[in-house]
Amino acid sequence: MTDVHPSGGATPGTSQGAPDDEASAVAGMAPATPATDATDAPPAPQAPREPGAGRRSFLRGLVGGIAGGVVAGGAAGVAGGYAGRAGQPADPSVAASAAAANGTLPAVPFHGQYQAGILPVPQRHSIVASFDVTAASKAELTELFQTITDRARFLTAGGTPGLAGVSGPPSDSGILGPVVPPDGLTMTLGVGSPLFDDRFGLAALKPAHLGPMAPFPNDDLDPAQTGGDLVLQFSAGSPDTVAHALRDVARYTRGGMQVNWRMNGFNSPPRPAGTVSRNFLGFMDGVANPDVTSATEMNKLVWVQPGAKGEPAWTAGGSYFVVRLIRMLVEFWDRVDLLEQENMFGRRRDSGYLLDEMGISTPPDYSKDPTGEVIPLTAHIRVANPRTAATASSQILRRSYSYDRGIDDVGNLDVGLLFTCFQQDVTRQFAAVQTRLIDEPLVDYISPFGGGYFLALPGVTGSSDYFGRSLLT
Amino acid sequence: MRPTRLLATIATTAALAVALGTGLTACSSGPAEPANLITMTSDTCGGPWHAGPGWTTFQLRNGNDVGGEIDLTDPKTGGIYAEVADFGPQTTTPMRIDLGSGQYRFRCLFQDTDPMLGTVVTVAGNAAGTPAQLGTPFNDLVQPAKTYQSYIEASLKTLLTLVTPLSNDLQAGHLAAAKRDWLPAHLQYQRLGAAYDAFGDADDAIDGRADAIGTDSPDWTGFYRIEYGLWHGQPASELKPFGPKLKSDVAALLAGWPQQEIELIDLGLRTHEIIENALQFQLSGHDDYGSGTTLATTLANIDGDRELLKVLQPVIAPRYQGLPAVYEWESRLQADLLKERGPSGQWTPVAKLTTAERQQLDADCGELLQALDPIPTITEPRN
Repeated sequence: MTDVHPSGGATPGTSQGAPDDEASAVAGMAPATPATDATDAPPAPQAPREPGAGRRSFLRGLVGGIAGGVVAGGAAGVAGGYAGRAGQPADPSVAASAAAANGTLPAVPFHGQYQAGILPVPQRHSIVASFDVTAASKAELTELFQTITDRARFLTAGGTPGLAGVSGPPSDSGILGPVVPPDGLTMTLGVGSPLFDDRFGLAALKPAHLGPMAPFPNDDLDPAQTGGDLVLQFSAGSPDTVAHALRDVARYTRGGMQVNWRMNGFNSPPRPAGTVSRNFLGFMDGVANPDVTSATEMNKLVWVQPGAKGEPAWTAGGSYFVVRLIRMLVEFWDRVDLLEQENMFGRRRDSGYLLDEMGISTPPDYSKDPTGEVIPLTAHIRVANPRTAATASSQILRRSYSYDRGIDDVGNLDVGLLFTCFQQDVTRQFAAVQTRLIDEPLVDYISPFGGGYFLALPGVTGSSDYFGRSLLT
Repeated sequence: MRPTRLLATIATTAALAVALGTGLTACSSGPAEPANLITMTSDTCGGPWHAGPGWTTFQLRNGNDVGGEIDLTDPKTGGIYAEVADFGPQTTTPMRIDLGSGQYRFRCLFQDTDPMLGTVVTVAGNAAGTPAQLGTPFNDLVQPAKTYQSYIEASLKTLLTLVTPLSNDLQAGHLAAAKRDWLPAHLQYQRLGAAYDAFGDADDAIDGRADAIGTDSPDWTGFYRIEYGLWHGQPASELKPFGPKLKSDVAALLAGWPQQEIELIDLGLRTHEIIENALQFQLSGHDDYGSGTTLATTLANIDGDRELLKVLQPVIAPRYQGLPAVYEWESRLQADLLKERGPSGQWTPVAKLTTAERQQLDADCGELLQALDPIPTITEPRN
């Protein structure tokens, strides 16, 4: 295991856990790595079962040894070790709980080959905002990207905003106090397909797989909340930090772009502690993910490879960025019995364990359950990732948040999922997964209504670089 | 309403200082005096001080028995780096600044006292800091105010000539003609934007919204009331009284105008508040009571803003490098608004704009407002 986080430095949530590429190779599918530090592993929510002894243990043969090791090593008996999943190190807010609670998370280095907000485990708070560009020329578009870069450089590092003195209003809104704290802020900028129309002469440079988000059969997309020229995601430890950043960027870019739609999201503290954040259906969300500490895996699954399938050279270091705004019909969901809920997901609600009770981090071997006796053939996790050689390349890096924005017109709770994911090729990955999920049983309880497909730009490599330079020059 | 720069506020500060006197004394005479303490008295405006470039917070102590204002100035240009506007007697007030390399000097403006200057202090090095801003003396604003006053008077006369046919047509029950009269008259009124405050209650009578009282209220009069009736099919008999009422309200405003006074501080404030109002009420469609002409109103507001910028030009130009951007974005907004006027003069209602059109107008207006926002501070009259 020699890979390090590509952006270097102390990116939250990626600096520990040291998972091992070879472990996933042994498993032959998604990474499965035991907890490397037993102290990170909190008590399991229920009494552990001895590996191999459960009635459904036949799913487990291939990797039983690893799971056994976890149980043997963990005094509290964390079968499946939530905290040690490859690429999903312990919840960053556990590692830095005091800093998170105080809003004093350290700065995430802004400069790097890749944008710094893509790989880390989702933070507590995030805003995704889509913008339409109103700049009148390519020169003004360049100026816009330079301004966004300047603001991101300042906001992510933190510091004291300049004083206007008596020459005008304060240069900063002041909502974070006189000194802007970094609070782990990352800002991720992406471009949508409309930017490559005839306005800026960029048509020939359109990424090969970038297009509008066509509705899937169970979607109910609202044009006013779908698509856009640009997307900006702000993620940090506190809600005021992300709100401040959005307000700041909007203030300095009024002539160049206008907010199109936005969604605020959050991640709950993992409950029980040490597990994975839950969504508004009560289930842990995004349990299995590729190993973000493996450059090899990221190069296969997350980073665009220029030259491949006609990707233009400027996309090197970029990643396709999918946003889906998914309403959850929670009143309906709450009237569904638990077994049916669990069969829809393929996991236990309370523990996050697979339905064979074995744990959550060791991948299921569906070849041992070909008829879906244990995990139904229609279960969300099984359809989304069948864990076959043929579907391995469709894995996405899933980064979701919950949203809660009041009530709808008839008084139902307007809550759901601010789903985001990153991938090398949106057609081969997200669209393929979503196509497999058409008409899954869960569709009765959710309603995707917005979002879009974007390409997260390459990282800003230094103080003289800016977002989109490789696209614009 | 914004607080104006009146020494009256100092009285409040002074009263508070008396109430908290013990605490302040303990604070300033304790074993650890605050760093960078600079004391101003009735005959000194602070002694020498030492600081390197970077962020500094001075603790300014007013050892005088009267209040006033303290400016930290550039001794060469007279530009102001920072100010304490309400310097209460026997109080200590922080002044925070990012000191750049250069020369600094405090200036004390105590009530009923000639201005005093402190020691010139040089901050070494080659660092940038909080910029100095050239203040605007009261006297520099007097002529612009007079010019503007005359502009308003002339505009009110024009307004009366445009309101007269509207009133006559409403009285005669010629509603189609009244509809044609309404827009030019309303736009003429909206060109006067800068004078809202000076108009006082007359503005409510002439151009009040129904927001707080409702469209059924008998107290609702003026342009918007007439617009609402004309474009909602209300009968001539119902609208008849509103014409003469509007005309008499305008006539009264004109008659009383020579006695009205424009506050000097309002001139600069209005350059951005006119456009803020346009963004909030016109460009949003909020003030569309049926005619769908709020984009035309926005253009009229720009006309009014241009007039103010014109009279303030000699004050603003030497003090604000961003003035060309103001003109540029005002022109861009004008041009994009004019695209929404059809061949026969009809206007696109805001609700019918495409998303892209609305975004472009909001972008133009938003950037214009950003460019305008230093002007109130820069044109604030100072001693």
